[in-house]
Amino acid sequence: MARVNFKDTRKETRTLAGKPVPVVVTARFARRGRLAVFADGLKSLLSGMRLTFGYLARPSAIVTRQYPENRATLKLPERFRARLRLKFDEHGYQLCTACRLCERACPNASIRILTRPGTLSKNELDRYIWRLDSCVFCNACVQSCPFDALEMTGEFEHAVFDRRLLIFTLNRYAGPPAGVLLKEPDEAKRAAAMEPRDVYGGPVPLNGADLPSVKALAVRPQADPARQGAAPAPGVPA
Amino acid sequence: MTVTVKTLNDIIAPPGAAASALATEEYFINMGPQHPIAHGSLRLVVRLDGETVREVIPVPGYVHRGLEKMAEHLSWRQIIHLTDRMDYLSALMNNWAVARTIEQAAGLATNPRIETIRTLMAELQRLQSHVLWWGVLGMDLGAFTPFLYGFREREVIGEIFEETIGARLTMNYIQPGGLMDDIHPDFVRKTKQVLAYLKPKIDEYDTLLSGNVILQERLRNIGVLPAARAIALGCTGPVLRASGVPYDLRKCEPYGVYAQADFDVPVGAKGDCWDRYCVRIEEMRQSIRIVEQLIDGIPDGPHATVKFGARIKVPEGIHYGQIETARGILGVTIAADGKSDAPYRLRLRSPNFSNLWAVTELARGWRIADIIAIQSTLDLVVPDIDR
Ligand code: SF4
Ligand code: SF4
Repeated sequence: MARVNFKDTRKETRTLAGKPVPVVVTARFARRGRLAVFADGLKSLLSGMRLTFGYLARPSAIVTRQYPENRATLKLPERFRARLRLKFDEHGYQLCTACRLCERACPNASIRILTRPGTLSKNELDRYIWRLDSCVFCNACVQSCPFDALEMTGEFEHAVFDRRLLIFTLNRYAGPPAGVLLKEPDEAKRAAAMEPRDVYGGPVPLNGADLPSVKALAVRPQADPARQGAAPAPGVPA
Repeated sequence: MTVTVKTLNDIIAPPGAAASALATEEYFINMGPQHPIAHGSLRLVVRLDGETVREVIPVPGYVHRGLEKMAEHLSWRQIIHLTDRMDYLSALMNNWAVARTIEQAAGLATNPRIETIRTLMAELQRLQSHVLWWGVLGMDLGAFTPFLYGFREREVIGEIFEETIGARLTMNYIQPGGLMDDIHPDFVRKTKQVLAYLKPKIDEYDTLLSGNVILQERLRNIGVLPAARAIALGCTGPVLRASGVPYDLRKCEPYGVYAQADFDVPVGAKGDCWDRYCVRIEEMRQSIRIVEQLIDGIPDGPHATVKFGARIKVPEGIHYGQIETARGILGVTIAADGKSDAPYRLRLRSPNFSNLWAVTELARGWRIADIIAIQSTLDLVVPDIDR
């Protein structure tokens, strides 16, 4: 028997402010002779060792994950909140109507929505700018969107060498949402209403733009994370 | 009006003569703000006579972010995410404390489903927090293996959160009037699996660390906090209960669905480091018990009674709410002006701040190494002290 028997807890009822509270009093030390204490101490060390070495012998009980070697198989839960993405329908039209509710819900102004007068509608999305560098992944933007136009994706590898690469334009085109576009039967007119937007660039400070003594970003057009959901573009300052 | 600001120099008495026949004198050392046991940036100014501690003066403030002030500029919903960052190991309970206070003040009703899920999540997080505390305590006292084991178990519970909430640390899950999202379809099955996995692990903790003679000798009779002093210092949570006061809000003023669950409040007999250790180990077992009782009976219903976009109207006045987090009582005082969408003033009574000051009394007269044991068993999370 060890000096403390952990099963030696005592159940009782105490009163606190006139109310009975069921308590369990934790175990204390038993008074024992020196020799017994020494023997118990030695035994306790050995049983701890046995447990540790047991794991050495049965490594299957260990849950270490070999990141980044396991990248190919690593699957994050579908609700995982990492990178914000605008949703697009099967035609590639965005669902965002530029209503700005997400911008207002965001606690730290990580979202900036720029609008412009449109051809098919009065007001349309120009740029949806999301600052990953200040986002806290609180999910308020996704929750507040009445058009279900936003989603959080499990893409979590965000390390880049230039801060400016953390400020994204999320929309692929400046133009009206799917609802407005689909009302227009003429394909050509639809296409004319959509002006392509790149991931970086725009008037928000640092959004890929010039800084004193730092040239504007030149981003390789094909490696475009917001569009393919692939690894972040290794955008290189020109 | 003049305000005299006391500096450390005013507080600290000049070093006196040491109690020794040799020509020595007392001296000061700083433990922290960067110190492995601080678990954050906490500075302790320690007055020493040789290796004996004469006085400990905590100097908090290195992680002060002004959450309470920031909250004045955020809406009722937005302040929830700030509370994740106080006691990050009890993020869900912090969310709940603020959400509950807002609900009480604004008269928002919840339903049994919401309350059950909240209770389950809070208990899982209490488990997760204590498991990590156990591992870190081992590491603080020189045993590295428990640290890895603690993280191993923490990970398993973290996966449940990840699946339902989508986050591992900063949850922002419990909202005024409901939850951010419904539980994942796999939640119940996974939780049961995890409980089955965890139960033998806690016995393993006893074999590995609690039974260890070195740990026992480093905790036994060290830093005794008498019940009266614990109450006077405002200590709450396991620190208070280890001193023998069975004050647990889950029992005394049940919130959530704690009243439906059958559990005991672990208390210590003496109030030393060992009791604080044992109380937390026992709390893990009790948390498992609570989750086991509730997991099968999650009632049906919507996961939120208030739509996310809806404006919350808190009437003018001062409102208070409190919750038992893994470290003690988190009290939330809201002053609302009844017009704006944000608190006029928010004040958070954090458990760690009060628990911290126990170290000034507990460490006196013990050795430097005992400060480590005392601080580890107080289980401080520094951002919660500084806010
Ligand atoms: S997740 Fe939160 S912080 Fe990030 S953009 Fe959305 S609302 Fe803003
Ligand atoms: S993402 Fe949603 S909430 Fe934000 S502007 Fe677009 S439609 Fe509105």
